[in-house]
Amino acid sequence: MIKLRTKLALFNLLSKLVFTAVFIAVLPYIIDRINILQTDNELIGKREEVIDLISRVGIEPFINKDSIYGFGSYNILKEEFISLEKAKLESDWNFIEISKRLIDDETIDYRVLNYSFKVDGEAYLLQIGKSLLSISHTRNNIKKVILIFLLSIILITLITDLFYTRRILRPLEFIIDKLKATSTPSLFDKIPVNTTTSDFIQLDLTIRELMDKIDELFQKEKEITINISHELLTPVSVLRSRLENILLQKNLDEETALKIEESLKTLHRLKTLVNSLLLIARIESRQYLKEDTFNLAVLLGEVLIEINPIAFDAGIIIQSDYELDMLIRNANKSLIFSMIYNVINNAVRNTPPIGQIIISSRRVACRFEISVSDTGKGMTQEVMDLLFLRFKKKLDTREDSTGIGLAITKSIADFHGIVISVVSKPGKGTIFSFLFPENS
Amino acid sequence: MNVLIVEDEKSLAGEIAAFLKSENFICDLAFTGIEASEKIAVNLYDFILLDIGLPDYNGLDLISEARRNKNDVSFIIITARGEVEDKVKGLNLGADDYLAKPFALVELNSRIQAVARRKFHISTRSIILGEFLLDIQSRKLLYNNNEVELTRKEHDLLQYLVLNQNKVLTRQQLYEHIWGNILDDQYDSNFIDVHIKNVRKKLNTHAPSPWLETVRGIGYRVSNDQ
Repeated sequence: MIKLRTKLALFNLLSKLVFTAVFIAVLPYIIDRINILQTDNELIGKREEVIDLISRVGIEPFINKDSIYGFGSYNILKEEFISLEKAKLESDWNFIEISKRLIDDETIDYRVLNYSFKVDGEAYLLQIGKSLLSISHTRNNIKKVILIFLLSIILITLITDLFYTRRILRPLEFIIDKLKATSTPSLFDKIPVNTTTSDFIQLDLTIRELMDKIDELFQKEKEITINISHELLTPVSVLRSRLENILLQKNLDEETALKIEESLKTLHRLKTLVNSLLLIARIESRQYLKEDTFNLAVLLGEVLIEINPIAFDAGIIIQSDYELDMLIRNANKSLIFSMIYNVINNAVRNTPPIGQIIISSRRVACRFEISVSDTGKGMTQEVMDLLFLRFKKKLDTREDSTGIGLAITKSIADFHGIVISVVSKPGKGTIFSFLFPENS
Repeated sequence: MNVLIVEDEKSLAGEIAAFLKSENFICDLAFTGIEASEKIAVNLYDFILLDIGLPDYNGLDLISEARRNKNDVSFIIITARGEVEDKVKGLNLGADDYLAKPFALVELNSRIQAVARRKFHISTRSIILGEFLLDIQSRKLLYNNNEVELTRKEHDLLQYLVLNQNKVLTRQQLYEHIWGNILDDQYDSNFIDVHIKNVRKKLNTHAPSPWLETVRGIGYRVSNDQ
């Protein structure tokens, strides 16, 4: 997987390289063409000069009328030559060609202008040549310069591309980060992205609308749960009052009284279930405030005051091994109390006499972690997988249990961004850990 | 004492009335908000048990109405909607207490008693329990003028049983009274047994406590003939 901005930069680099390669490939041809055009123009210019000179001073200074030899002149470096000779030509010559000349045992390619003209009935041939060696030198130099120039351009644009694409794609990364940080639709960060790119604004807007829609559906579902729960509580209340009134009757025989009490117990379970569902629905629809600031150690102390008598009676020792100064902010104290109480109480229930429960704390990079470890019967992986699911599995077989306590614990933890982890070995014991978020 | 029960669920209103009558209250019933509003305007009540989830009326408006008419009757709100907001709103309007459905009738009774004590400045007499003396006001249990050290929970438990003396209280009723609703799911009948056991242990180091009875299969009772 490659990041978009890397892909864009790579594509830019590749297209530039291809362009450069093509350019470099056709460059010699272009330079040659330009050079030859340039050379031809110079040769024509020189021809005009020579013809002009002859028309002024006559042909004599260059060539004897009767001599069979012509006039020839080379410059020292053999870059150029000029020759004038009598010629018997069938037609007029006026063309430029490339031809080899052997000069001092050296064959040199020349661009040669051939021009025929007549003076006093005598035909003459003028040849002006320019060495192509000097042309190829120039070509190579130009090639080098252009190559270096293009490569530097490519390098510079690669760097600026990387920088620029990172800049323009920053809103996209921002949106991705926002999505990653969204555990439930309602928590989606509604602050719009700061960008001038309309695509990103559109993307952000569409995601926001989608989140709102999903959240609305979630809320409706929660509302239904809450409404059903309320509707259920009134008949439960009627039944309860009626049964309690019967139980208060004087002269009630013992057998009936026991049955009434049994019915009240069942009703209590029903009430507990409804209230637990209500509690979870309310937590999940965020009807609780997170405005408390408190010391977690003090809260643990309060939980232990509740549980110690029960643990002591069951022959279980609870050891406190936690830091005494753990300030928690932006939390709901009574929910956190429930969460921790549920887990410690579970540990007490699942630990046989002469067992031990250790409550400890540690800091994980500015975050508090509370662990409750017991020497109880432990759990298999199978049981652990179902641990936080509502009604999936009743962990203890007690008549009073509704099997929803840990589901409540989980929703309280999620509500606060607390991470729960469970380690357990059958027959050895269980460790529940709560990792509090950094901002708390 | 005169009590008006405002509750649209007739059978619930009937059960509450039956219970309160057995506790020597004079009860009146209103099944709708309009009926209640008329009755409150005409009659003098000491207490109004108000279900705020009435079909025709926002129950909380009845409180504001009564206060506007300079009626200082005590309201105890009953609701199936256990929302904290409702509770705060009701208490801000001047309600005296708040009960979530389904509540125990004995709990209702003890709330009424508590409001009555506050309202009429009744200083509760100390209650003699065998060789012990329970001072409700100062929350102290005395034996020969020496305090018997009880934990807060143990004291709450004993006091609740004493205030409902001669009635059998079930473990759930006791649990609810002491731990409320937040730990609903953690209800364990054993909790109450352990605390009662501890209370008895503490009492018995001083003197026997036959008045704190276990009613087999049902719960506990404080029997007191005085």
